[in-house]
Amino acid sequence: MVALQRLIDTDIHNGIDRKRLLSFLPEPWATRFATGRGAPGGLGYWNPNGVLRSDAVTPDGERIDGNPKHLGKYFLDVHNVEYGILNPQSSLQYGLSPEPDFAAAVVSALNDVLMNDWLEADPRLRASAVISPADPLLAAKEIHRVAQHPGVVQILMGSGARAPYGNRIYDPIYQAASEHNLPVAIHPGSEGVGVSGPPTAVGYPSSYLEWHTNLVGSYMSHLISLVTEGTFVKFPNLRFVLLEGGIAWLPAILWRLDKNWKGLRQTVPWLDRLPSEYVFEHIRISTQPMEEPDKPEHFKAILDMFPADKMLMFSSDYPHWDGDTPDFAARAFPRELRSRVMSETARELYRLPAPVAANAVSEVAADD
Amino acid sequence: MTDTGTRTKREPQLWPVAKVDELAPGERKLVEIKKHSIGLFNVNGEYIAALNMCPHELAPICRGRVSGTTLPSKPGEFIWGREGEILACPWHGWEFDLLTGQMLADQRVRIRRYPVTVQGDDIYITV
Repeated sequence: MVALQRLIDTDIHNGIDRKRLLSFLPEPWATRFATGRGAPGGLGYWNPNGVLRSDAVTPDGERIDGNPKHLGKYFLDVHNVEYGILNPQSSLQYGLSPEPDFAAAVVSALNDVLMNDWLEADPRLRASAVISPADPLLAAKEIHRVAQHPGVVQILMGSGARAPYGNRIYDPIYQAASEHNLPVAIHPGSEGVGVSGPPTAVGYPSSYLEWHTNLVGSYMSHLISLVTEGTFVKFPNLRFVLLEGGIAWLPAILWRLDKNWKGLRQTVPWLDRLPSEYVFEHIRISTQPMEEPDKPEHFKAILDMFPADKMLMFSSDYPHWDGDTPDFAARAFPRELRSRVMSETARELYRLPAPVAANAVSEVAADD
Repeated sequence: MTDTGTRTKREPQLWPVAKVDELAPGERKLVEIKKHSIGLFNVNGEYIAALNMCPHELAPICRGRVSGTTLPSKPGEFIWGREGEILACPWHGWEFDLLTGQMLADQRVRIRRYPVTVQGDDIYITV
Protein backbone atom coordinates (compact mmCIF):
# COMPACT_ATOMS: atom_id res chain seq x y z
CA MET A 1 0.00 0.00 0.00
CA VAL A 2 1.03 3.56 -0.70
CA ALA A 3 -0.20 5.83 2.05
CA LEU A 4 -1.19 9.14 0.56
CA GLN A 5 -1.71 12.11 2.81
CA ARG A 6 -3.39 14.06 0.05
CA LEU A 7 -5.69 12.79 -2.63
CA ILE A 8 -7.79 14.69 -5.14
CA ASP A 9 -10.03 12.63 -7.40
CA THR A 10 -10.81 14.42 -10.65
CA ASP A 11 -13.47 12.08 -12.03
CA ILE A 12 -16.27 10.79 -9.81
CA HIS A 13 -19.62 9.96 -11.38
CA ASN A 14 -22.72 10.73 -9.40
CA GLY A 15 -26.19 9.77 -10.49
CA ILE A 16 -28.68 12.58 -10.98
CA ASP A 17 -32.13 11.95 -9.56
CA ARG A 18 -34.64 12.20 -12.37
CA LYS A 19 -37.42 13.67 -10.23
CA ARG A 20 -35.11 16.33 -8.85
CA LEU A 21 -33.99 17.23 -12.37
CA LEU A 22 -37.61 17.48 -13.41
CA SER A 23 -38.31 19.87 -10.56
CA PHE A 24 -35.86 22.39 -12.02
CA LEU A 25 -37.06 22.08 -15.64
CA PRO A 26 -39.30 24.84 -17.03
CA GLU A 27 -42.14 24.09 -19.43
CA PRO A 28 -42.50 22.89 -22.08
CA TRP A 29 -39.44 20.79 -21.31
CA ALA A 30 -40.76 19.46 -18.00
CA THR A 31 -43.79 17.96 -19.70
CA ARG A 32 -41.65 16.59 -22.43
CA PHE A 33 -39.05 15.13 -20.04
CA ALA A 34 -41.76 13.60 -17.83
CA THR A 35 -43.18 11.70 -20.78
CA GLY A 36 -39.84 9.99 -21.25
CA ARG A 37 -38.81 11.57 -24.50
CA GLY A 38 -35.27 12.44 -23.58
CA ALA A 39 -31.97 12.80 -25.31
CA PRO A 40 -30.61 10.45 -27.93
CA GLY A 41 -29.51 7.27 -26.20
CA GLY A 42 -26.20 5.50 -26.49
CA LEU A 43 -25.45 3.05 -29.26
CA GLY A 44 -26.42 0.18 -26.98
CA TYR A 45 -23.20 -1.82 -27.03
CA TRP A 46 -23.18 -4.76 -24.62
CA ASN A 47 -20.87 -4.50 -21.64
CA PRO A 48 -21.50 -7.74 -19.73
CA ASN A 49 -20.00 -6.19 -16.58
CA GLY A 50 -22.44 -3.33 -16.61
CA VAL A 51 -21.01 0.18 -16.63
CA LEU A 52 -21.85 0.81 -12.97
CA ARG A 53 -20.00 -1.32 -10.45
CA SER A 54 -22.41 -3.74 -8.79
CA ASP A 55 -20.59 -3.40 -5.46
CA ALA A 56 -21.08 0.37 -5.26
CA VAL A 57 -24.07 -0.03 -2.97
CA THR A 58 -24.62 0.53 0.74
CA PRO A 59 -25.39 -2.37 3.11
CA ASP A 60 -29.02 -1.35 2.62
CA GLY A 61 -28.72 -1.77 -1.12
CA GLU A 62 -28.79 1.90 -2.14
CA ARG A 63 -26.49 3.21 -4.85
CA ILE A 64 -23.49 4.94 -3.29
CA ASP A 65 -23.21 7.19 -6.31
CA GLY A 66 -26.85 8.22 -6.01
CA ASN A 67 -26.57 10.09 -2.70
CA PRO A 68 -23.92 12.54 -1.53
CA LYS A 69 -24.02 11.24 2.04
CA HIS A 70 -23.33 7.70 0.83
CA LEU A 71 -20.61 8.94 -1.48
CA GLY A 72 -18.98 10.74 1.43
CA LYS A 73 -19.17 7.79 3.82
CA TYR A 74 -18.44 4.88 1.50
CA PHE A 75 -16.01 6.46 -0.95
CA LEU A 76 -14.49 9.79 0.13
CA ASP A 77 -13.96 8.66 3.75
CA VAL A 78 -12.68 5.22 2.78
CA HIS A 79 -10.00 6.56 0.44
CA ASN A 80 -9.32 9.73 2.40
CA VAL A 81 -10.24 11.90 -0.59
CA GLU A 82 -9.54 15.54 0.16
CA TYR A 83 -11.58 16.83 -2.81
CA GLY A 84 -13.63 15.01 -5.39
CA ILE A 85 -14.78 16.44 -8.70
CA LEU A 86 -18.24 15.29 -9.74
CA ASN A 87 -18.90 14.61 -13.38
CA PRO A 88 -22.55 13.58 -13.45
CA GLN A 89 -23.53 10.32 -15.09
CA SER A 90 -25.66 10.10 -18.21
CA SER A 91 -25.35 13.82 -18.88
CA LEU A 92 -23.26 14.12 -22.00
CA GLN A 93 -25.68 12.78 -24.57
CA TYR A 94 -27.90 15.85 -24.15
CA GLY A 95 -25.27 17.92 -25.89
CA LEU A 96 -25.78 15.81 -28.99
CA SER A 97 -29.53 16.17 -29.17
CA PRO A 98 -30.64 17.73 -32.45
CA GLU A 99 -32.99 19.92 -30.37
CA PRO A 100 -30.78 22.66 -28.92
CA ASP A 101 -33.26 24.43 -26.65
CA PHE A 102 -34.40 21.22 -25.01
CA ALA A 103 -30.81 20.08 -24.55
CA ALA A 104 -29.77 23.39 -22.99
CA ALA A 105 -32.75 23.34 -20.60
CA VAL A 106 -32.02 19.80 -19.41
CA VAL A 107 -28.33 20.35 -18.72
CA SER A 108 -29.21 23.56 -16.92
CA ALA A 109 -31.67 21.69 -14.65
CA LEU A 110 -29.07 18.99 -14.17
CA ASN A 111 -26.60 21.63 -13.02
CA ASP A 112 -29.21 22.92 -10.59
CA VAL A 113 -29.42 19.47 -9.03
CA LEU A 114 -25.64 19.37 -8.79
CA MET A 115 -25.42 22.76 -7.14
CA ASN A 116 -28.38 22.33 -4.77
CA ASP A 117 -28.23 18.67 -3.79
CA TRP A 118 -24.58 17.72 -4.11
CA LEU A 119 -22.31 20.71 -3.62
CA GLU A 120 -24.25 21.79 -0.54
CA ALA A 121 -24.05 18.32 0.98
CA ASP A 122 -20.33 17.77 1.43
CA PRO A 123 -17.55 20.37 1.55
CA ARG A 124 -15.17 17.97 -0.18
CA LEU A 125 -17.23 17.92 -3.33
CA ARG A 126 -16.72 20.13 -6.38
CA ALA A 127 -18.47 19.79 -9.70
CA SER A 128 -18.18 20.14 -13.42
CA ALA A 129 -21.18 21.93 -14.85
CA VAL A 130 -22.50 20.26 -17.98
CA ILE A 131 -23.10 22.22 -21.16
CA SER A 132 -24.64 21.38 -24.48
CA PRO A 133 -21.91 22.38 -26.95
CA ALA A 134 -24.08 21.87 -30.01
CA ASP A 135 -25.37 25.41 -29.42
CA PRO A 136 -22.33 27.37 -28.25
CA LEU A 137 -24.23 30.57 -27.48
CA LEU A 138 -26.67 28.80 -25.15
CA ALA A 139 -23.70 26.96 -23.66
CA ALA A 140 -21.91 30.24 -22.96
CA LYS A 141 -25.02 31.59 -21.25
CA GLU A 142 -25.07 28.53 -18.98
CA ILE A 143 -21.38 28.98 -18.19
CA HIS A 144 -21.99 32.54 -17.03
CA ARG A 145 -24.82 31.27 -14.82
CA VAL A 146 -23.07 28.33 -13.14
CA ALA A 147 -19.81 30.23 -12.70
CA GLN A 148 -21.50 32.14 -9.88
CA HIS A 149 -21.38 29.01 -7.72
CA PRO A 150 -17.98 28.57 -6.03
CA GLY A 151 -18.29 24.78 -6.11
CA VAL A 152 -18.42 24.72 -9.90
CA VAL A 153 -14.78 24.36 -10.88
CA GLN A 154 -15.03 23.18 -14.46
CA ILE A 155 -17.18 23.03 -17.60
CA LEU A 156 -17.90 19.58 -19.02
CA MET A 157 -18.89 18.35 -22.45
CA GLY A 158 -18.82 15.05 -24.27
CA SER A 159 -15.90 13.97 -26.43
CA GLY A 160 -18.41 12.80 -29.00
CA ALA A 161 -19.05 15.90 -31.08
CA ARG A 162 -20.24 17.04 -34.46
CA ALA A 163 -17.11 19.09 -35.11
CA PRO A 164 -13.61 19.01 -33.62
CA TYR A 165 -13.43 21.22 -30.54
CA GLY A 166 -10.91 23.68 -31.94
CA ASN A 167 -13.44 24.76 -34.54
CA ARG A 168 -14.21 28.45 -34.15
CA ILE A 169 -17.95 27.74 -33.77
CA TYR A 170 -17.10 26.79 -30.18
CA ASP A 171 -15.34 30.07 -29.36
CA PRO A 172 -18.25 31.45 -27.29
CA ILE A 173 -17.78 28.50 -24.92
CA TYR A 174 -14.07 29.18 -24.50
CA GLN A 175 -14.64 32.92 -24.21
CA ALA A 176 -17.09 32.41 -21.34
CA ALA A 177 -14.95 29.80 -19.61
CA SER A 178 -11.89 32.04 -19.90
CA GLU A 179 -13.71 34.98 -18.40
CA HIS A 180 -14.44 32.90 -15.30
CA ASN A 181 -11.10 31.07 -15.27
CA LEU A 182 -12.91 27.75 -15.58
CA PRO A 183 -11.19 24.82 -17.29
CA VAL A 184 -13.18 23.05 -20.00
CA ALA A 185 -13.15 19.25 -19.87
CA ILE A 186 -14.26 16.49 -22.18
CA HIS A 187 -15.33 13.01 -21.14
CA PRO A 188 -15.98 9.94 -23.31
CA GLY A 189 -19.23 8.14 -23.78
CA SER A 190 -21.16 10.16 -26.31
CA GLU A 191 -19.14 9.03 -29.34
CA GLY A 192 -21.58 8.10 -32.07
CA VAL A 193 -24.60 9.47 -30.19
CA GLY A 194 -27.17 11.85 -31.66
CA VAL A 195 -25.72 14.38 -34.07
CA SER A 196 -22.09 13.41 -33.38
CA GLY A 197 -19.94 11.91 -36.09
CA PRO A 198 -19.49 8.14 -36.18
CA PRO A 199 -17.47 6.86 -33.22
CA THR A 200 -14.46 6.19 -35.40
CA ALA A 201 -13.22 7.73 -38.63
CA VAL A 202 -13.92 4.45 -40.40
CA GLY A 203 -17.42 3.96 -39.08
CA TYR A 204 -19.17 1.93 -36.40
CA PRO A 205 -17.39 -0.62 -34.20
CA SER A 206 -19.15 -3.96 -33.65
CA SER A 207 -18.62 -4.41 -29.91
CA TYR A 208 -18.24 -2.47 -26.69
CA LEU A 209 -14.62 -3.63 -26.59
CA GLU A 210 -13.95 -2.16 -30.01
CA TRP A 211 -15.88 1.03 -29.29
CA HIS A 212 -14.27 1.61 -25.89
CA THR A 213 -10.73 1.03 -27.16
CA ASN A 214 -11.33 3.45 -30.00
CA LEU A 215 -12.35 6.32 -27.72
CA VAL A 216 -8.81 7.67 -27.83
CA GLY A 217 -9.44 8.57 -31.47
CA SER A 218 -11.80 11.41 -30.66
CA TYR A 219 -9.34 12.65 -28.03
CA MET A 220 -6.56 12.86 -30.57
CA SER A 221 -8.84 14.69 -32.99
CA HIS A 222 -9.96 17.27 -30.44
CA LEU A 223 -6.44 17.82 -29.12
CA ILE A 224 -4.96 18.40 -32.56
CA SER A 225 -7.87 20.63 -33.50
CA LEU A 226 -7.56 22.81 -30.39
CA VAL A 227 -3.88 23.41 -30.99
CA THR A 228 -3.87 23.93 -34.75
CA GLU A 229 -6.96 26.13 -34.85
CA GLY A 230 -5.28 28.48 -32.39
CA THR A 231 -7.80 28.13 -29.55
CA PHE A 232 -5.02 28.61 -27.00
CA VAL A 233 -3.70 31.61 -28.90
CA LYS A 234 -7.14 33.21 -28.74
CA PHE A 235 -7.75 32.23 -25.11
CA PRO A 236 -4.35 32.22 -23.43
CA ASN A 237 -5.64 31.43 -19.95
CA LEU A 238 -7.82 28.53 -21.13
CA ARG A 239 -7.06 25.11 -19.68
CA PHE A 240 -8.56 22.07 -21.41
CA VAL A 241 -8.88 18.77 -19.57
CA LEU A 242 -8.91 15.35 -21.20
CA LEU A 243 -10.82 13.11 -18.81
CA GLU A 244 -10.62 9.35 -19.16
CA GLY A 245 -8.96 9.48 -22.55
CA GLY A 246 -5.81 7.56 -21.69
CA ILE A 247 -2.21 8.69 -21.39
CA ALA A 248 0.17 6.59 -23.43
CA TRP A 249 -0.85 7.84 -26.88
CA LEU A 250 0.02 11.44 -26.06
CA PRO A 251 3.78 11.61 -26.77
CA ALA A 252 3.48 9.72 -30.05
CA ILE A 253 0.76 11.94 -31.47
CA LEU A 254 2.68 15.05 -30.39
CA TRP A 255 5.82 13.85 -32.16
CA ARG A 256 3.73 13.42 -35.27
CA LEU A 257 2.10 16.82 -34.86
CA ASP A 258 5.40 18.61 -34.26
CA LYS A 259 7.02 16.93 -37.24
CA ASN A 260 4.17 17.79 -39.56
CA TRP A 261 4.10 21.37 -38.33
CA LYS A 262 7.70 21.92 -39.42
CA GLY A 263 6.68 21.43 -43.03
CA LEU A 264 3.14 22.79 -42.87
CA ARG A 265 3.64 25.72 -40.53
CA GLN A 266 2.40 28.20 -43.10
CA THR A 267 -1.11 26.73 -42.96
CA VAL A 268 -1.40 27.75 -39.29
CA PRO A 269 0.69 30.93 -39.09
CA TRP A 270 -0.75 31.89 -35.70
CA LEU A 271 1.33 29.19 -34.01
CA ASP A 272 4.71 30.62 -33.08
CA ARG A 273 6.17 27.58 -31.34
CA LEU A 274 6.02 23.81 -31.49
CA PRO A 275 2.43 22.55 -31.20
CA SER A 276 3.46 20.29 -28.32
CA GLU A 277 4.44 23.33 -26.29
CA TYR A 278 0.85 24.60 -26.39
CA VAL A 279 -0.30 21.18 -25.25
CA PHE A 280 2.10 21.07 -22.32
CA GLU A 281 0.93 24.49 -21.17
CA HIS A 282 -2.82 24.24 -21.71
CA ILE A 283 -3.84 20.57 -21.53
CA ARG A 284 -4.36 18.50 -18.39
CA ILE A 285 -5.07 14.78 -18.42
CA SER A 286 -6.80 12.51 -15.95
CA THR A 287 -5.06 9.22 -15.29
CA GLN A 288 -7.79 6.59 -15.55
CA PRO A 289 -7.94 4.21 -17.40
CA MET A 290 -4.19 3.82 -17.02
CA GLU A 291 -2.52 1.63 -19.58
CA GLU A 292 -1.11 -1.58 -18.09
CA PRO A 293 1.73 -2.94 -20.22
CA ASP A 294 3.25 -6.28 -19.22
CA LYS A 295 6.40 -4.47 -18.17
CA PRO A 296 5.51 -1.61 -15.78
CA GLU A 297 8.74 0.15 -16.72
CA HIS A 298 7.29 0.75 -20.18
CA PHE A 299 4.56 2.89 -18.62
CA LYS A 300 7.16 4.78 -16.58
CA ALA A 301 9.22 5.34 -19.71
CA ILE A 302 6.26 7.05 -21.37
CA LEU A 303 5.96 9.39 -18.40
CA ASP A 304 9.43 10.68 -19.29
CA MET A 305 8.27 11.75 -22.74
CA PHE A 306 6.08 14.68 -21.68
CA PRO A 307 5.77 16.88 -18.55
CA ALA A 308 3.78 14.33 -16.55
CA ASP A 309 4.35 16.36 -13.40
CA LYS A 310 2.45 19.30 -14.90
CA MET A 311 -0.22 17.44 -16.84
CA LEU A 312 -1.48 14.34 -15.07
CA MET A 313 -4.21 14.31 -12.43
CA PHE A 314 -5.48 11.23 -10.62
CA SER A 315 -9.00 10.05 -11.39
CA SER A 316 -10.85 7.02 -10.09
CA ASP A 317 -13.85 7.04 -12.44
CA TYR A 318 -15.83 5.72 -9.47
CA PRO A 319 -18.20 3.83 -9.69
CA HIS A 320 -17.59 2.74 -13.25
CA TRP A 321 -16.48 -0.74 -14.25
CA ASP A 322 -13.04 0.32 -15.52
CA GLY A 323 -11.94 2.53 -12.63
CA ASP A 324 -8.54 2.77 -10.92
CA THR A 325 -8.22 2.83 -7.14
CA PRO A 326 -5.97 5.49 -5.59
CA ASP A 327 -3.53 2.89 -4.35
CA PHE A 328 -3.30 1.12 -7.69
CA ALA A 329 -2.70 4.43 -9.47
CA ALA A 330 -0.16 5.75 -6.98
CA ARG A 331 1.96 2.62 -7.29
CA ALA A 332 2.17 3.05 -11.05
CA PHE A 333 3.85 6.44 -10.75
CA PRO A 334 7.43 6.98 -9.69
CA ARG A 335 7.76 8.44 -6.24
CA GLU A 336 8.90 11.87 -7.48
CA LEU A 337 5.71 12.27 -9.50
CA ARG A 338 3.31 10.93 -6.95
CA SER A 339 2.20 14.03 -5.07
CA ARG A 340 1.89 15.99 -8.32
CA VAL A 341 -0.30 13.37 -9.93
CA MET A 342 -2.34 12.33 -6.92
CA SER A 343 -3.26 15.83 -5.76
CA GLU A 344 -1.16 18.89 -6.49
CA THR A 345 -1.67 19.44 -10.22
CA ALA A 346 -5.43 19.20 -9.68
CA ARG A 347 -5.20 21.53 -6.68
CA GLU A 348 -3.54 24.17 -8.84
CA LEU A 349 -5.87 23.72 -11.79
CA TYR A 350 -9.07 23.88 -9.76
CA ARG A 351 -7.70 26.41 -7.25
CA LEU A 352 -8.48 24.15 -4.33
CA PRO A 353 -7.29 25.36 -0.93
CA ALA A 354 -4.11 23.84 0.45
CA PRO A 355 -4.44 21.88 3.66
CA VAL A 356 -3.74 23.93 6.77
CA ALA A 357 -0.12 23.72 7.82
CA ALA A 358 -0.79 21.91 11.09
CA ASN A 359 -2.20 18.96 9.19
CA ALA A 360 0.46 18.92 6.56
CA VAL A 361 2.28 15.63 6.72
CA SER A 362 4.53 14.54 3.96
CA GLU A 363 3.57 11.58 1.86
CA VAL A 364 4.61 8.24 3.23
CA ALA A 365 5.28 5.52 0.76
CA ALA A 366 5.48 2.23 2.60
CA ASP A 367 6.27 0.16 -0.42
CA ASP A 368 9.54 1.70 -1.49
CA MET B 1 41.56 29.21 -59.40
CA THR B 2 44.46 26.82 -59.14
CA ASP B 3 44.66 24.38 -56.34
CA THR B 4 47.54 25.29 -54.05
CA GLY B 5 48.24 21.68 -53.33
CA THR B 6 48.02 22.23 -49.60
CA ARG B 7 45.87 19.33 -48.54
CA THR B 8 45.57 20.14 -44.86
CA LYS B 9 43.94 23.56 -44.93
CA ARG B 10 42.68 25.33 -47.98
CA GLU B 11 41.97 29.02 -48.02
CA PRO B 12 38.51 29.95 -49.28
CA GLN B 13 38.58 30.88 -52.91
CA LEU B 14 36.43 32.91 -55.26
CA TRP B 15 34.67 30.80 -57.85
CA PRO B 16 33.01 32.48 -60.86
CA VAL B 17 29.59 30.90 -61.26
CA ALA B 18 27.43 33.17 -63.40
CA LYS B 19 27.12 36.41 -65.30
CA VAL B 20 24.93 39.08 -63.74
CA ASP B 21 22.54 39.07 -66.70
CA GLU B 22 22.08 35.34 -66.36
CA LEU B 23 19.82 35.39 -63.29
CA ALA B 24 16.71 37.56 -63.11
CA PRO B 25 15.03 38.11 -59.71
CA GLY B 26 13.31 34.87 -58.68
CA GLU B 27 15.64 32.72 -60.77
CA ARG B 28 18.29 30.30 -59.61
CA LYS B 29 21.22 28.30 -60.91
CA LEU B 30 22.76 25.12 -59.57
CA VAL B 31 26.55 24.89 -59.77
CA GLU B 32 29.14 22.41 -58.57
CA ILE B 33 32.21 23.63 -56.72
CA LYS B 34 34.76 21.28 -55.23
CA LYS B 35 32.17 18.48 -55.46
CA HIS B 36 29.61 20.54 -53.54
CA SER B 37 26.28 21.22 -55.23
CA ILE B 38 25.43 24.85 -54.54
CA GLY B 39 22.39 26.90 -55.47
CA LEU B 40 22.75 30.53 -56.51
CA PHE B 41 19.54 32.53 -56.08
CA ASN B 42 18.58 36.02 -57.17
CA VAL B 43 16.40 37.08 -54.26
CA ASN B 44 14.77 40.32 -55.35
CA GLY B 45 18.11 41.60 -56.67
CA GLU B 46 20.33 40.16 -53.96
CA TYR B 47 22.43 37.09 -54.75
CA ILE B 48 22.34 34.25 -52.23
CA ALA B 49 24.35 31.04 -52.40
CA ALA B 50 23.35 27.98 -50.40
CA LEU B 51 24.55 24.40 -50.13
CA ASN B 52 22.15 22.17 -52.00
CA MET B 53 21.54 19.99 -48.97
CA CYS B 54 18.72 20.19 -46.48
CA PRO B 55 19.95 19.72 -42.88
CA HIS B 56 17.02 17.37 -42.24
CA GLU B 57 17.39 14.38 -44.58
CA LEU B 58 20.00 15.83 -46.96
CA ALA B 59 17.54 16.52 -49.77
CA PRO B 60 18.55 18.70 -52.75
CA ILE B 61 16.87 21.68 -51.14
CA CYS B 62 17.89 24.18 -53.83
CA ARG B 63 15.46 22.46 -56.18
CA GLY B 64 12.58 23.34 -53.88
CA ARG B 65 9.91 25.99 -54.20
CA VAL B 66 10.92 29.65 -53.75
CA SER B 67 7.99 31.78 -52.76
CA GLY B 68 6.53 33.93 -50.03
CA THR B 69 4.87 32.58 -46.94
CA THR B 70 2.22 33.37 -44.42
CA LEU B 71 3.37 35.94 -41.88
CA PRO B 72 2.62 35.72 -38.14
CA SER B 73 -1.07 36.48 -37.65
CA LYS B 74 -4.10 36.00 -35.47
CA PRO B 75 -6.01 32.70 -35.64
CA GLY B 76 -8.09 32.56 -38.78
CA GLU B 77 -6.13 35.34 -40.46
CA PHE B 78 -3.76 34.83 -43.40
CA ILE B 79 -1.22 37.48 -44.41
CA TRP B 80 1.03 36.69 -47.36
CA GLY B 81 4.45 38.28 -47.54
CA ARG B 82 8.22 37.88 -48.05
CA GLU B 83 7.65 36.91 -51.67
CA GLY B 84 10.77 35.32 -53.18
CA GLU B 85 12.64 35.09 -49.87
CA ILE B 86 11.54 31.66 -48.66
CA LEU B 87 13.03 28.38 -49.90
CA ALA B 88 10.99 25.25 -49.12
CA CYS B 89 12.58 21.83 -49.25
CA PRO B 90 11.00 19.58 -51.89
CA TRP B 91 10.96 16.58 -49.55
CA HIS B 92 9.23 17.67 -46.32
CA GLY B 93 8.41 21.30 -46.88
CA TRP B 94 10.75 22.77 -44.29
CA GLU B 95 10.89 26.50 -45.02
CA PHE B 96 14.15 28.45 -44.87
CA ASP B 97 14.71 32.18 -44.97
CA LEU B 98 17.16 32.66 -47.84
CA LEU B 99 18.26 36.01 -46.40
CA THR B 100 19.42 34.50 -43.08
CA GLY B 101 19.62 30.76 -43.74
CA GLN B 102 17.34 30.06 -40.77
CA MET B 103 14.48 27.59 -40.73
CA LEU B 104 11.21 29.38 -40.06
CA ALA B 105 9.88 26.74 -37.64
CA ASP B 106 13.12 26.46 -35.67
CA GLN B 107 15.71 29.20 -35.97
CA ARG B 108 18.43 26.98 -34.58
CA VAL B 109 18.31 24.99 -37.81
CA ARG B 110 20.03 26.52 -40.84
CA ILE B 111 21.01 25.83 -44.39
CA ARG B 112 24.67 26.46 -45.16
CA ARG B 113 25.23 29.68 -47.08
CA TYR B 114 28.33 31.04 -48.85
CA PRO B 115 29.50 34.60 -49.45
CA VAL B 116 28.66 35.98 -52.88
CA THR B 117 30.51 38.84 -54.55
CA VAL B 118 29.97 40.63 -57.82
CA GLN B 119 32.94 41.95 -59.79
CA GLY B 120 32.07 43.53 -63.08
CA ASP B 121 29.74 41.21 -64.93
CA ASP B 122 30.71 38.18 -62.91
CA ILE B 123 29.16 36.62 -59.82
CA TYR B 124 31.55 34.76 -57.53
CA ILE B 125 30.87 32.35 -54.70
CA THR B 126 33.49 31.98 -51.96
CA VAL B 127 34.01 28.34 -51.06
